[in-house]
Amino acid sequence: MDGFGQSLWREAWRDLIRRRLIRGCLGIIACFFLVALYGEIVYRYYRFVDRTPSYSLVNLSERYLPPSIFRHPFAQTCGAGGGHSIWAGVKALAYRPWGTDNLGRDVLQRTIQGTRIAFLVGIVTSLIAIPIGVLLGCISGYFGKWVDDLIVWLYSTIESIPGLLFILAISMVVGKGIMGVYLGIGLTTWVGLCRLLRAEVMKHRDRAYVMAARSLGYSSWRIIFRHILPNVFHIIIITFSIRFPAAIGTEVFMSFLGIGVQGEPSWGIMIGNARLRLWQGVWWEMAAVSTAILLVVLAFNLVGDALRDSLDPRLRSKES
Amino acid sequence: MTRFIIRRLLYMIPMVLGVILITFLLFNVVGGSPASMALGKKASPQALEEFDEQRGFNKPVIAGYWISTRAFPPCDWASPVSVDAETNFPIQMLFPLRSDSRYRCRVEIRAKQTGSVTRFRLDSMNFLSASTQAVSPRWEWAEIEFKPETNSPLVGTVMLSAETGAFEVRRVRVERRMPHGLDSQFVHYFKSLAKFDLGTSLSTNEKVTTMLKRGIWPSLALTVPIFFGGLVLSVALALVCAYWRNRWPDRAFVFLAVALMSVNYLVWIIFGQFFMAYKWHWFPIWGFESWSYLLLPILIGILSGLGGNLRFYRTVILDEIYKDYVRTAFAKGLSPAGVLFKHVLPNAMIPIVTNTVIALPFLYTGSLLLESFFGIPGLGGLSINAINSSDVDVVRGVVLVGAILYVVASLVTDLCYAWVDPRVKLR
Repeated sequence: MDGFGQSLWREAWRDLIRRRLIRGCLGIIACFFLVALYGEIVYRYYRFVDRTPSYSLVNLSERYLPPSIFRHPFAQTCGAGGGHSIWAGVKALAYRPWGTDNLGRDVLQRTIQGTRIAFLVGIVTSLIAIPIGVLLGCISGYFGKWVDDLIVWLYSTIESIPGLLFILAISMVVGKGIMGVYLGIGLTTWVGLCRLLRAEVMKHRDRAYVMAARSLGYSSWRIIFRHILPNVFHIIIITFSIRFPAAIGTEVFMSFLGIGVQGEPSWGIMIGNARLRLWQGVWWEMAAVSTAILLVVLAFNLVGDALRDSLDPRLRSKES
Repeated sequence: MTRFIIRRLLYMIPMVLGVILITFLLFNVVGGSPASMALGKKASPQALEEFDEQRGFNKPVIAGYWISTRAFPPCDWASPVSVDAETNFPIQMLFPLRSDSRYRCRVEIRAKQTGSVTRFRLDSMNFLSASTQAVSPRWEWAEIEFKPETNSPLVGTVMLSAETGAFEVRRVRVERRMPHGLDSQFVHYFKSLAKFDLGTSLSTNEKVTTMLKRGIWPSLALTVPIFFGGLVLSVALALVCAYWRNRWPDRAFVFLAVALMSVNYLVWIIFGQFFMAYKWHWFPIWGFESWSYLLLPILIGILSGLGGNLRFYRTVILDEIYKDYVRTAFAKGLSPAGVLFKHVLPNAMIPIVTNTVIALPFLYTGSLLLESFFGIPGLGGLSINAINSSDVDVVRGVVLVGAILYVVASLVTDLCYAWVDPRVKLR
């Protein structure tokens, strides 16, 4: 980030790191990110060898195994690979540590896959929504006039459609599956960023440095993206940290309803599955998923707040 | 003020048009075939065509005369098919064509040998007209119009044959002519909206408008208490936070608010229903028989929304509390509570009211999840069912009405804003 005025960013970063809570949150996010990466590797591996992944392998003889890290290695009749070697003992020790669900699938592995999907959704929807918001926001703020009118009309129209229903309708129309989730969330959630950037770029448009760049004869695009954008970049970072957990929440909701991810253990699907078993006293699948969601979303929310405080205190009253 | 109101009213027109356009684009253009969504992939082409005919989906999207028919889906061949004097080329219709419209058959065609005259012919048992045309040696679209004489099943096949010479075919289209050029889906949609007709549900064959009218009351019974309960509770807590700002009650509430925000909505509902209704028998579990069935969903709704609201109102009030007039009030020796309620709260009301009015239209859609979990027959549950069964008209109706209500509410907000706060510049 050389061109971005290092000191500001470095200062903000130091500000964040100094607070123990935020350090913990960043640690949690990093851990989950690594878990998601591991999940991606496992997923790719099973795709590559073309086998049913272990996390969706049905094993009816091991249904509803409760969570335990001290599963007795030799009393185990199935799974664990049998044998009386030490290795079998070690393997059995960590065998299905978080229990199994109604079809005998490992809850821990499924939760890891859910993490993978949640991060994918958070990242891909941001990659769709943020460029749209940045582009339209900068253009309408900088050029004003009819361009501004058009873009304001576009985003106020989109904003007026009930959000969740709009997302669900888009994914219904695109077709059930992760693509529908990406497009549904990505195409509707750029409005907030666009509005913020538009207002900010409007303020910058008449500042001295922009005037100077203009009088040097730079093109509008160069002024927007090389001069103004770095000055409003913190808004993008803050928006990212806010919309990431929101996107995860929406994905959980959609998958739960059955129009999100299909055939893969997303958190929403796991909740839908675990909900029915909760009444039979099988609490661990539900607990695993809800804890995972809580941790990720809480960490992101706290980091988002801290980012907002250290990067731009003025934004606090505008977005909440 | 009058000018402001008029201008603001005029501004609603492009918004409403935009909403109509977006719903149209979403459901009619991007949406692919609603017929195959509704009837499934294995439905016969004739059933699909009848479905489209009923709902006006067999019209051109915006405008146009010709529209392809499902009787013969557009056909492209990678390697051209050759037709000569011996071999005819049959164009097999999947169902009889309608005798009340004209059709045309378009083929991309080229003659095999240059120099000699090549003509192709299109005919069948019961055409009023079948004609011949010359074929050029380059790939060119040729078209022949025809009109089926009767609806007799003999119209099954149209023969494409070579009258003289031989030619190759690489694409074939069969299209139907509309009575006039503006008989399109968009015009159809607009017309039905003008008559307040939102279409009919696929699954129950009921008018969408009657479904909406029936569903709105249970929805409001759920969302209105959630909304106002949440508003009062969160403003009260926000005042508490502001009173003890940056001390432990404030910190505790803010952390609690973030934690409450971070619990997924689904988790709220599932745990609430499981513990409070099923385990501890505090509330009925499921149904919509008396007011007591609404208590638990209302409680869950308030709790799940509390975090975000509390944070919002806290920042609103804190924005006020550092202003000069507050310092003056304190300097005069007023009690903290007096300052808070008499001076700060009225000024903080402006963003609070704005936030409240703009949130009102969302009460109409109800709560998607709460309603389907607790069996409340409102619009939220209705939309979830409609989305699950790909009931396009219902989803579109709910989305459209919700959006229009939002446009109206934002108008009301702006007017309130201009009325409450004279500093607001009337654009």
